[in-house]
Amino acid sequence: MADLFELAVSATASGCIYALVALAYLLILRPTSVINFAVGEWAATGAFIGVAVLTPLAWPRLEGPYWLALLAVLVILGALGWLVEVLTVRPLIRPGISITSPILCLLGMLVIFRESLTILFGADPLPSPPPFGFKRVAFGPFAGASQQFLIIGVTLSLFAVVWLFFERTVWGRAFEAVALNRRAAALMGINLRRVTAFAFAAGAMVAGLAGLLMSPLTSAHYMMGLPLAIQGFTALVIGGVGRVEGALLGGLVLAVVEQFGARYLPIPSGLTLGFPFVLLIAFLFLRPSGLIAPREAR
Amino acid sequence: MTGGALLSVERLTKRFGGLTAVEDLALDLFPGEILALIGPNGAGKTTTFNLIAGVLRPSAGSITLGDVRIDGLPVHRIAALGLMRTFQHNMPFAGMSLTDNILVGSHTRCDGSLIDILIGRRRYRDEEAAARRRAADLIAFVGLQEQVGRDVSTLSFGEGRLLELARALAGEPRVILLDEPAAGLTPSETARLSDVIRAVAARGIAVLLIEHDMHFLLPLAHRVVVMNFGHKIAEDAPDEVVRDPNVIEAYLGGVAPRSGHA
Amino acid sequence: MRGAGSVLTWLAAIVVASTLAFMLGGYATDVYRKMLIWVALALSYNFLFGIAGQIAFSHFAFAGVGAYGVVILAHKIGLPFVMAFALAMTLCAVLAFIVALPSTRLEGFYLALATLAFSQLVLVVISEGGELTGGTGGIANYRLPSVFGHAIRGPWYTVVLVLLVALTLWVLRRLDVSTFGRACRAVRDNPDAAAAMGVGVARTKVLAYTLTSTLAGLAGIAYAYVDNVVNPPVFGLENIFLLLFMIIVGGSGSHIGAIVGAVFLYLAPFVLEPIVGHGFLVVFGVLVVLTILFQPSGLAGLLGRLSGRRTA
Repeated sequence: MADLFELAVSATASGCIYALVALAYLLILRPTSVINFAVGEWAATGAFIGVAVLTPLAWPRLEGPYWLALLAVLVILGALGWLVEVLTVRPLIRPGISITSPILCLLGMLVIFRESLTILFGADPLPSPPPFGFKRVAFGPFAGASQQFLIIGVTLSLFAVVWLFFERTVWGRAFEAVALNRRAAALMGINLRRVTAFAFAAGAMVAGLAGLLMSPLTSAHYMMGLPLAIQGFTALVIGGVGRVEGALLGGLVLAVVEQFGARYLPIPSGLTLGFPFVLLIAFLFLRPSGLIAPREAR
Repeated sequence: MTGGALLSVERLTKRFGGLTAVEDLALDLFPGEILALIGPNGAGKTTTFNLIAGVLRPSAGSITLGDVRIDGLPVHRIAALGLMRTFQHNMPFAGMSLTDNILVGSHTRCDGSLIDILIGRRRYRDEEAAARRRAADLIAFVGLQEQVGRDVSTLSFGEGRLLELARALAGEPRVILLDEPAAGLTPSETARLSDVIRAVAARGIAVLLIEHDMHFLLPLAHRVVVMNFGHKIAEDAPDEVVRDPNVIEAYLGGVAPRSGHA
Repeated sequence: MRGAGSVLTWLAAIVVASTLAFMLGGYATDVYRKMLIWVALALSYNFLFGIAGQIAFSHFAFAGVGAYGVVILAHKIGLPFVMAFALAMTLCAVLAFIVALPSTRLEGFYLALATLAFSQLVLVVISEGGELTGGTGGIANYRLPSVFGHAIRGPWYTVVLVLLVALTLWVLRRLDVSTFGRACRAVRDNPDAAAAMGVGVARTKVLAYTLTSTLAGLAGIAYAYVDNVVNPPVFGLENIFLLLFMIIVGGSGSHIGAIVGAVFLYLAPFVLEPIVGHGFLVVFGVLVVLTILFQPSGLAGLLGRLSGRRTA
């Protein structure tokens, strides 16, 4: 039984990471219809910034405090997200240009980000220290690493804030209006450029945070981005691209299926690697709206 | 119902949720005839068009082309049976040459299998050659010879409209549907378009068009069907229809039959 | 006549490309052979992506199915080569058809993600296939058997690859200028208008996907006998990005562009790596971004403009 509870904590923590990556997709996808595959590399960038600030392993050998790492991730990723939007997406989102142009452009950015990380930090995995050390924590029967509980706590809080933002604030409403109809939103006086730039900046920050949070569990590695990008997108498709809650639910469902499946299903462990792909295919074909349908029925 | 009709619409009804967009509509279209479908905004003209073209599925009623029921068939099957259309907003294939755009219209007239194409089977080669000749004829017919080498996305609105027409004609249709063909055209382009449409009808093709521009429509149409709130409220020769009290009343609430450009 | 002229052009190109095979040796032969495989894959991928407008990430998965298929059938099971070859091709075609039926209904980038998931599954299966697929190590130590009594060795195998490229180009060009190629482009540019012109949109998409994926399988079969090794990483995601970049940089929708893009990006690292090391991948990324932003018709468009003609 203890094993089961431990697995539950571990799956929830992984699910929260997937959920954050899914949220990063969602923030960008809703107002622009752009599926930004580079979010995985943004998460990797967040992880490496964490290592750079916190440890003497990589330059600038700072050994700084955790709050500085967090601040650095949010500021740098926010700026990068904004910059990517201005340089490669803004010129390509125009009537008459297919939406695939910015998506393909972002695939180019994906490679630029990943290979730049390799050049800056090398190809070896770099361990990242957890802010609350390596001690184990237990809440009743639920036991796990302190980092896993930190991930769960931060993710749930962030989702609560984002949910409130969309439901309760004028800015959130503007976001939703753009998501529903860009032209109508523009006519209502909403600044499309600002919303789009903000979406990319916010998406990059959330992705970077996911990378920073997961790096103590997995180390920072230049190949971490693409699997995360796929898992995050799978989570988004499972939960449904229409709603913030969907990203969270999808992430948790994916992680639970992955980890419980690998543990309890009587199939070779290697084949369990295929679970996310089977889920992705199944949802795309059978339930493309995801578990939580968008509010506005089409 | 009526003998000799090429396209016959009976008791056609379309509901969207609680809203009835078209109700109990009957229409007959004869070879070589130009029939105009008019009515105030929201009268159900565009819905009717989309029902006939197969974009929408009727809630009730039947649509017959020749002796084939076409209601409920997918769009490309209806096209293959000889019903082609143009769009209100020009929809050229932007990445293709002007001639290739028109050749797409011939798709159902030279539909060889991949094997036929690869081994160059005689029947396919002949169909392809015929399609190319037809495309060249149609370019001359609508008067786009000067534009052949141009990128289709740089065509003027009027030239784009003629391209749409040539593309639809390339499929050798029996019926052609024109969705507001004169909208957005200059007076000289409108005059040219009228001539082309008359020539199309003279070939025996049945023309059904939606139009707002009465200057364009009244001298062109042989018959006019007026719709309001999803119903047919009048059907007559053009100069009779504009005097019909029902029609005048329908337009007085909204927009009077305009005698200018849309 | 034009027909005779074009036959001569084809023959001349094949002879020149084949002659090169006999002049090269050692490492250069290996580079040349792999370049020819890349060109063949780029040509079929260009038809799928550039002409039919489908962003699919499964091209290398089908190359893998072809390569593993023929090796397993001919060398593990021991079927005669010709039969193994035919079965491997059939397997690719059938599998592509099955994947295409539901996938091509998905719009835009969702097709990319479904096919990405499919190709990752193929990778999982070949990595976990145990004895049959050789696991992560793959299969090695086999040789191309004699075909109808002829053992094809050395430069003659390179000639086979030249013929593979020629066949791929011939098939795709012929289809491109036909009613099928026009239907593909029409569906890419505007599916609604294409349907209104009588083009069966779903049928066209499924045909294009199945055809090009089968050609990828053929290239995969040819690849299996280049190094006489097949292993999983070759058929993974990294290469599909590179293939996509080749098409974008070369000029999507253009056969010349696919060839130029494949040759250019395949050979570039040999020049760039001594200068910038692994940084050449950053250069590729920048090249892709710049191409999409400033030169959407790619190198083919650039060449066309320089020579003052419209691109093919």
